[in-house]
Amino acid sequence: MKVLVPVKRVIDYNVKVKVKADGSGVDLANVKMSMNPFDEIAVEEAIRLKEAGTATEVVVVSIGEKKATDTLRSAMAMGADRAVLITTDQGVDIEPLAVAKLLKAVIDEEAPDLVIAGKQAIDNDMNATGQMLAALLGWGQATFASEVKIEDGAAIVTREVDGGMQTISVKLPAIITADLRLNEPRYASLPNIMKAKKKPLEEKSADDFDIDITPRQTIIATEEPATREAGIMVGSVDELVAKLKEGGFV
Amino acid sequence: MTNAATAEFLADLQDALPKGRFRAVKAGELDDPRGRHVGLAAVVATPHCVDEVSTIARLCHAAGVGIVPLGGGTGLVLGQVAHSGPAPVVISLERMTAIREVYPSENAMVVEAGAILHDVQAAAEAVDRLFPLSLASEGSCRIGGNLATNAGGLNVLRYGNTRDLCLGLEVVMADGTIWHGLKRLRKDNTGYDLKNLMIGSEGTLGIITAATLRLFARPSKTAAAVFVVEDPKSAIDLLAMAQATVGEGISAFELISGVGLDFLTETLPDLRQPFEVRPDWCVLIDLGVSAEAVPEEMLLALFEKALAAGLVSDGVISQSEAQRQEFWAVREHIPVGNRNIGSISSHDISIPVSRIPDFIPEGIAKLQALGDVRVNCFGHLGDGNLHYNVFPAKGLDRKDFDDIRAAVKKTVHDLTHAYEGSVSAEHGVGRLKVEDLERYQDPVKLAAMRAIKTALDPKGILNSGAVLRAAGAT
Ligand SMILES: Cc1cc2nc3c(=O)[nH]c(=O)nc-3n(C[C@H](O)[C@H](O)[C@H](O)COP(=O)(O)OP(=O)(O)OC[C@H]3O[C@@H](n4cnc5c(N)ncnc54)[C@H](O)[C@@H]3O)c2cc1C
Ligand SMILES: Cc1cc2nc3c(=O)[nH]c(=O)nc-3n(C[C@H](O)[C@H](O)[C@H](O)COP(=O)(O)OP(=O)(O)OC[C@H]3O[C@@H](n4cnc5c(N)ncnc54)[C@H](O)[C@@H]3O)c2cc1C
Repeated sequence: MKVLVPVKRVIDYNVKVKVKADGSGVDLANVKMSMNPFDEIAVEEAIRLKEAGTATEVVVVSIGEKKATDTLRSAMAMGADRAVLITTDQGVDIEPLAVAKLLKAVIDEEAPDLVIAGKQAIDNDMNATGQMLAALLGWGQATFASEVKIEDGAAIVTREVDGGMQTISVKLPAIITADLRLNEPRYASLPNIMKAKKKPLEEKSADDFDIDITPRQTIIATEEPATREAGIMVGSVDELVAKLKEGGFV
Repeated sequence: MTNAATAEFLADLQDALPKGRFRAVKAGELDDPRGRHVGLAAVVATPHCVDEVSTIARLCHAAGVGIVPLGGGTGLVLGQVAHSGPAPVVISLERMTAIREVYPSENAMVVEAGAILHDVQAAAEAVDRLFPLSLASEGSCRIGGNLATNAGGLNVLRYGNTRDLCLGLEVVMADGTIWHGLKRLRKDNTGYDLKNLMIGSEGTLGIITAATLRLFARPSKTAAAVFVVEDPKSAIDLLAMAQATVGEGISAFELISGVGLDFLTETLPDLRQPFEVRPDWCVLIDLGVSAEAVPEEMLLALFEKALAAGLVSDGVISQSEAQRQEFWAVREHIPVGNRNIGSISSHDISIPVSRIPDFIPEGIAKLQALGDVRVNCFGHLGDGNLHYNVFPAKGLDRKDFDDIRAAVKKTVHDLTHAYEGSVSAEHGVGRLKVEDLERYQDPVKLAAMRAIKTALDPKGILNSGAVLRAAGAT
């Protein structure tokens, strides 16, 4: 069974994001970038399937600028077998529909039995690529997965839904999107990072595909969240209650 | 000897200050972290400005009543814990927390002594600068306390001790006069360096009320790695290689022992450790670089070189800031693991770096001749600073070692001295190491210290009994 995992290079989850002065977006100059954390979980799950003997090959795919090579190498250091990079022009944000279309083209060629994606990328928080890809391919989808088992040509997936868990079965090939609790991704060991440098990485250009990737959305404004106001110290419980009343909180 | 604070004196003191400047001791705030002593206080004063500190000092000076300055109370050597003699006036800087001015273009910032270290770091970050002092206690300790103890911490290798991060001070002297030394100058060769005398004086020469601090450009990218090394010798060779390869980007180079990792496994099993097979020794390397450099690639290049030289066998590199923080969490929890196990005796020592590989095993052999003990040796290897802590062997209780505790301490300190080291690398002398200072310090320096103390604090009211034995005390 071949598993394909799309991975995105995003601004590091722990970096304090700064909005560009003109509000056109987020300042990415010289900012630390890492693999989207949900994609890391997806890669881990695919590698575990391989280690369990269920999967035979794990292919990682990234769409983005040339530096996404680092992200693919990280995925291969974790244990993915090979990588495909589809390069796009620097600084152009590729929207989920365009990503899904490019992924579909790769999938048509690679013919994986299973795609595991992150449930969303933490930069734009769209939560759409996996779903769009399933629709384009006409495959079943199991989103927000917190547990995955492969049995008799189907994926048995436990999903995190409002107020509980839901377990569904989807026929393969299928798309699974990974939620936070699916697993804890391993650390990339240095010997494996060295080995990953020698693993195959195929590079293509988005221009090689007959797919229109120009953005369809216009960003009107980007704003920082309101900053928290400084707290005050109160001397007693009575004073606390009085202040809360004064502020109309109780 | 200082005088007791009489009811009359305390009433005068209250009258001299605005209302609300005194409070009772809070539970635990003057306790010895080892639980052996409790600090005394006639009253805790909480002045709001330097003039109020000055008033308190002036009155105490006139009456010969002792003063103990208090920051966050995180000091580890009883500097803030006056456990014998007449109860002093404790001056807590907790109400003097303002960030007075920030000068990003000068890379300088003026803060009041009571500012919590974490808030100082945040104020620097708000103008896209770095204040690099970083300790595990940064959420509680105050900058005045850091200056008074010349605290070290995690970034000394690159940025120096607190001393190296200070450009100027405002200090209330023993008699209540105020030294206005809040200069923002990098060059100021105008006579004796009073600033550097005050820094590290642990509240015995003056009360620090404000400081000008140095700021730095923030490295735009950071990454951490944990490399497995065979022994401390390999770790030191790796340090030299790292300094030659990646240069000053290294902000920390921390040694971690297998014993320390065992303590984490035993007492904090949920804390994620970097390796499945527990190494005997490893080092945490933290790298901060600017602009186009890629720290992960630099760490990988270092690993490849070190692997070829036979210095390392395995390792991990953080692939995200989250992973970097996980690696640091391991390092930062080692003292917690130590506390959970319970040490017989802890030592904060420094040794010339090249002699560390001989020191560590020689010390262990000497200690094991005293009893069935384990040593967790870890710390700021890049600075030659080791935390060399001694624990009961697995299954034994520290109480069974009470009778050899003094011998354990003396063994470690004697050996440290023989290796041209220091028995207090970064925590200071306080009241805990007064005797050690007398035993190991150069006699001429000790005499000069006493002369300085007498000159600046003739009545001996400032933190009496800390650093130097109080005049007349035995
Ligand atoms: C978990 C933990 C980790 C630590 N890690 C490190 C570390 O990595 N490196 C390191 O060097 N230290 C470390 N320390 C100890 C360190 O000395 C203190 O954390 C800190 O520097 C003391 O600051 P404080 O505000 O708590 O001072 P306090 O404990 O309140 O006082 C310490 C001494 O300074 C004097 N003092 C305080 N404020 C003033 C002032 N305004 N003017 C004059 N004298 C004053 C006191 O009288 C006392 O002698 C650690 C402590 C803990 C609890
Ligand atoms: C051309 C020129 C360029 C200079 N450029 C600079 C510069 O860029 N930056 C700068 O900071 N200075 C500069 N200086 C001045 C600088 O102070 C001296 O060059 C140097 O530091 C003094 O060293 P010296 O051995 O000549 O001392 P001396 O001139 O012999 O003595 C200077 C002082 O030090 C004392 N002293 C000397 N030796 C000792 C000792 N062993 N123990 C105790 N006290 C001692 C003397 O008593 C005297 O007070 C410059 C001077 C010249 C002439």
